[in-house]
Amino acid sequence: MNAKAAAAWSASCLVIVLVTSNPAYKCAVLAAAFTTLAATAGLGRMHRLLVGVALIAGFDVLLNFVSAHLGQTVLFAVPDSIPGVGGPYTVEALAFGASSGITIPAAILAAAPFSLLLQPHDVMDALPPVLARTGTTIAASMNLVPAVVASFTEVSEAQRMRGWRPRGPRSWAEVVVPVVLTSVESSIQLAESMEARGFGLPARTHFRGANLGPTSLLVIVASLAAAAGFAISQALGWAEAWYPYPSLMWPAVDLRALTGCSLLFVPAILWRRRG
Amino acid sequence: MLAALRSGDTVATARLSHLSYWYPGSAHAALDDVSLVLEGMTLVAGRSGGGKSSLLRVLNGLVPHFHGGRIAGHAEVEGLDVIGTPTRSLASTVGFVFQDPELQAVYDTVEREVAFGLENIGIATLAMASRVDDALAEAGAQHLVGRRIRSLSGGERQRVALAAVLAMQPRLVVLDEPTSQLDPEGASLVLTSASRLRKAGRTLVISEHRLEQLVRSADRVVSVERGRVQAHAPSDWRTAVVAVNVPRTSAPGPEAWSLNGVTAGFSGQPVLEGVTLGGNAGEILALTGPNGGGKTTLLRTISGALPPLVGAVERRPGRVAYLPQNPAALLHRPTVRSEVELTLSRAEDAAESPDLILDALGLREVAGRYPRDLSSGERQRAALAAVLPGRPSLVLLDEPTRGMDAAAREALIRLVARLRDAGSSVVLATHDVHLRQALGDRVVRVCGGKVGEL
Repeated sequence: MNAKAAAAWSASCLVIVLVTSNPAYKCAVLAAAFTTLAATAGLGRMHRLLVGVALIAGFDVLLNFVSAHLGQTVLFAVPDSIPGVGGPYTVEALAFGASSGITIPAAILAAAPFSLLLQPHDVMDALPPVLARTGTTIAASMNLVPAVVASFTEVSEAQRMRGWRPRGPRSWAEVVVPVVLTSVESSIQLAESMEARGFGLPARTHFRGANLGPTSLLVIVASLAAAAGFAISQALGWAEAWYPYPSLMWPAVDLRALTGCSLLFVPAILWRRRG
Repeated sequence: MLAALRSGDTVATARLSHLSYWYPGSAHAALDDVSLVLEGMTLVAGRSGGGKSSLLRVLNGLVPHFHGGRIAGHAEVEGLDVIGTPTRSLASTVGFVFQDPELQAVYDTVEREVAFGLENIGIATLAMASRVDDALAEAGAQHLVGRRIRSLSGGERQRVALAAVLAMQPRLVVLDEPTSQLDPEGASLVLTSASRLRKAGRTLVISEHRLEQLVRSADRVVSVERGRVQAHAPSDWRTAVVAVNVPRTSAPGPEAWSLNGVTAGFSGQPVLEGVTLGGNAGEILALTGPNGGGKTTLLRTISGALPPLVGAVERRPGRVAYLPQNPAALLHRPTVRSEVELTLSRAEDAAESPDLILDALGLREVAGRYPRDLSSGERQRAALAAVLPGRPSLVLLDEPTRGMDAAAREALIRLVARLRDAGSSVVLATHDVHLRQALGDRVVRVCGGKVGEL
């Protein structure tokens, strides 16, 4: 998998899901993102991510339902005298919340290949030369994150054994200070190691260039075609917006716009599963 | 010290001449008028904090370019003036392998990690793959191709770190205590690779406390004490032997702790399975076994820091002294003495003087210093001084001799024997054979989550 292809696909997904208010097209992007990740990363690795996005989406639906007292189809009402939540609760507000609730999971799943499918060096190889050093530094610091987490556990255990007990914010200094100092020392040692291996010299090359194979090229072309096709559909008025207020209506679906969205499924077929 | 300079030697890889170095803010010279010629295989020996790491870091310019401070004299490697050349520009001339295998990796896969230096020095992409393969073969790590760095053992990681510097084809390879964090098997892997490099004609400089395996193939041994160096022929060098006789002054007492059918681990994943084990007051139990076998998990379970998933852990009342694998986890006070005082105040043992343990561990001279400014061996002793005072009833030490020289290991053996005789129950997780032999009343091997008494 090529990071440039992944970036093109993610960007196209994001463009469509963010520019349209029509839940039909949002659902198409969500389905493409879910199918692609399920086919490549597998449902097991997606489990936590899915739980997270489901919670965020649920919260979004609830927030709109509770705060937007618009629409004609009233389910129930809470007295206006109750601040914050008082007013009519409508089907339209629930539907609008559900529609905007699709946006967040679709956007998160569209960006997920960068965390689930690509390694930091894949991303670095795809960066333009001007960002290569910054990318290397970020990749190296990401390698330190597990060490910092382990250090926190080790320090808090060691200090407890020594008689430390948490008694207010100030007492945490005995844990936080060693963790921070150890992290800084680890960073310095890593920097020393990088310097000793020539990091910072001007003539930098890549172990394996981010060459685009035919699969990646096809993904990029399909992704760009999806985004461009959808933009054209919107400009020509084929892909209509959707607004549920004042009374709920089904969203209009245009087959040409939907066909454009369906190009986002291409990576689900072409990208191989990654362990 | 010009006596160390071999007259008439014109093919040396590195040459230091009347070199002195002071760390920033220090009036004390870390290296004091050092003159040396390096070729073939040189072993660097000496006490912790004597200046070994500083000497090694001069060879690729980390001292002074990375660490700052003042430097006087002359240092050259392959004709390059080290003091006038940035470290990164010396990368293809001097390869440097650091102590800690955990803190050297930039990338997360083996080939990428080995290629990191090649990318930096601008080797053409087409030439990299073969250089990476050759370097992995030279370091004895070709079987690790395709592996994730985080999945490697400490010994495997150090071999990858070695391959990463060999890929740049440096004339001089420097290894700074490359085995101090490794189990005997991992250490043997790395030292075998080092010996192979010597045979292949590389110039090697290795700092080690345990020189037995290397001294026969070395061309010289350089000892570093208080910043001054002295060169010795390997045949004249006698490796320091830890030989302390610590006879018991009291018999073991009643059971101090026990694990009954304990399964322990993280996130529901067991690391130890069905362990039944116990220890008595006034007894020392030594845990041995490979890195990742479960020794640290066992210590944490005994201490109570890690609750068992299954089974029961019992301990008699009293203070638990726990030395974690990383001594830096403990040290946060401004001085070594204040670390000891903190523990004594918490142990409510006003009668015990901090000087007692500072003297026992040879730390009086550095008692007023910031613990994190000390060498790795001194830091380890400072961490021991921070946990052991105050008459602990249970003492749990995770690799207590890491980075320690022979004298410090002897001091530790005496101190632990004293705790044993005072009635403390001691559990040591250690790769150090001498420590185990000197102190272990019982030895238990921990491997693959199982324990077995030896």
